[in-house]
Amino acid sequence: MTTERLPTPDSPLIALLERVALADESALRELYDLTSSKLYGVAVRVVTNREWAEDVLQEAFLNIWRIAGDYKASLSPPMAWMALVVRSRGLDFLRRRTADKMGQMQTLDDVIADTVAGDSPNPMDTAQASEQAQALHRCMSQLDNKQREVVSLAYMRDMSHGELAEQLKLPLGTVKTWIRRGLEQLRGCMAKLA
Amino acid sequence: MNLTRNPALIEQLAASYALGTLRGGARRRFEGVARGNAAVRAAALIWQGRLASVAELQPEAAPSAAVWKRIENLVAADKQVKAMQAARASRTADMPVKPGWLASLNVWRGMAGAGAMAAVLMGVVGLTVNNSLNERGNAISASLNAANMQALKLDSEVQLLTAKLQATPEIQYVAVLSDDKAAASMLVTFDPKSKKLTLKRVGGYQEQADKSMQLWALPQTGGPRSLGVLGRDAIIKLTAVDNDVKAVPTLAISLEPKGGVPSSGGPTGPVLFKGALIETTL
Repeated sequence: MTTERLPTPDSPLIALLERVALADESALRELYDLTSSKLYGVAVRVVTNREWAEDVLQEAFLNIWRIAGDYKASLSPPMAWMALVVRSRGLDFLRRRTADKMGQMQTLDDVIADTVAGDSPNPMDTAQASEQAQALHRCMSQLDNKQREVVSLAYMRDMSHGELAEQLKLPLGTVKTWIRRGLEQLRGCMAKLA
Repeated sequence: MNLTRNPALIEQLAASYALGTLRGGARRRFEGVARGNAAVRAAALIWQGRLASVAELQPEAAPSAAVWKRIENLVAADKQVKAMQAARASRTADMPVKPGWLASLNVWRGMAGAGAMAAVLMGVVGLTVNNSLNERGNAISASLNAANMQALKLDSEVQLLTAKLQATPEIQYVAVLSDDKAAASMLVTFDPKSKKLTLKRVGGYQEQADKSMQLWALPQTGGPRSLGVLGRDAIIKLTAVDNDVKAVPTLAISLEPKGGVPSSGGPTGPVLFKGALIETTL
């Protein structure tokens, strides 16, 4: 998925987060306009349901509004930091659902299972990604589709080997092997880039 | 096995740790080693940083326009709640109070106060920054047509109400139900203590004499559940149990024949208003 789009420089996002930390609502709006599609994509990936993902995105932005002052200490690219806020709100959301025995993953997971089973193209997207993410992307692109998808899913959903095996209907040993090999390859590749 | 003398193993464990697949006892042992050994800790942090970018590589998707509207309302409410808490805190601090009562109160205040004061300071700074923005905002507002003005007024009313209701500590769930144009029409709060759902009409909508509005919980699984039929007053109270409301992501109001319809059949009329139910963290 190579586009001609230049990577968004981090500095405008950092400046906006600084203004949000000073309770500037217009900065939050600008931040939302710049990042909501990316972050909504993150939310959809974690909770698998578009309506839930909108609730997650909403919670995440309220969260960003409240904790933007913490951003600086994280030393992360701003998009990575915000994506992690969305991810943890998404995981909280899933935990609440599961506690209520309503944690049924649906429809979108079938899509993911297809990706893992077949050899569909790289579903990753570097639009708006930080430089650090571009590097990871180069290394992830070298993995098999299956390995990449399992690693990505393990991280995004915070799933154990067992949960992944169950979700993707794969033998536990297969999941473990794919993840181990995936991480090994990433290590070699990232060491070269870093 | 000495972990610290095996760089490949450190890397492997650090990667699984950051990915989240290292679990249970193995995870705890790794954390223990990391606390005592800077190299191991560094490896874990490097992997956490690397893998954090996985989140950035997810494909984009467009959320519906209503999401920003909801965030905007919540943020405005958030600001007002904090301002009110702070105002209340300073007011009560000035009042002479009976000692026993004061003692128990102070415990609560101490916990809430630190956050509230920080928020007020933030608010003050924000206000100065916002002055020029407000001026610009006013100019824009002036040029908006009458219908938009009405919508804006309604919005701020909802924000104020949401803020007021959120400022009451017992309230744990709030929903702003809006029509399909995202104009707020009904403010719903649920207080699990008294098991009371309170609905407040905030829009101009009034059902015809031969119709009733009916409130529905839309759980994630199963069909809509009726939470009750709404009277014609500006403020309506309904009784509900926790489980009716907890874990329900969305509430909706449908227009039904007078007196409402049975829950089992679901709504029969059009859905007038709908909104996400939010658990307030206050």
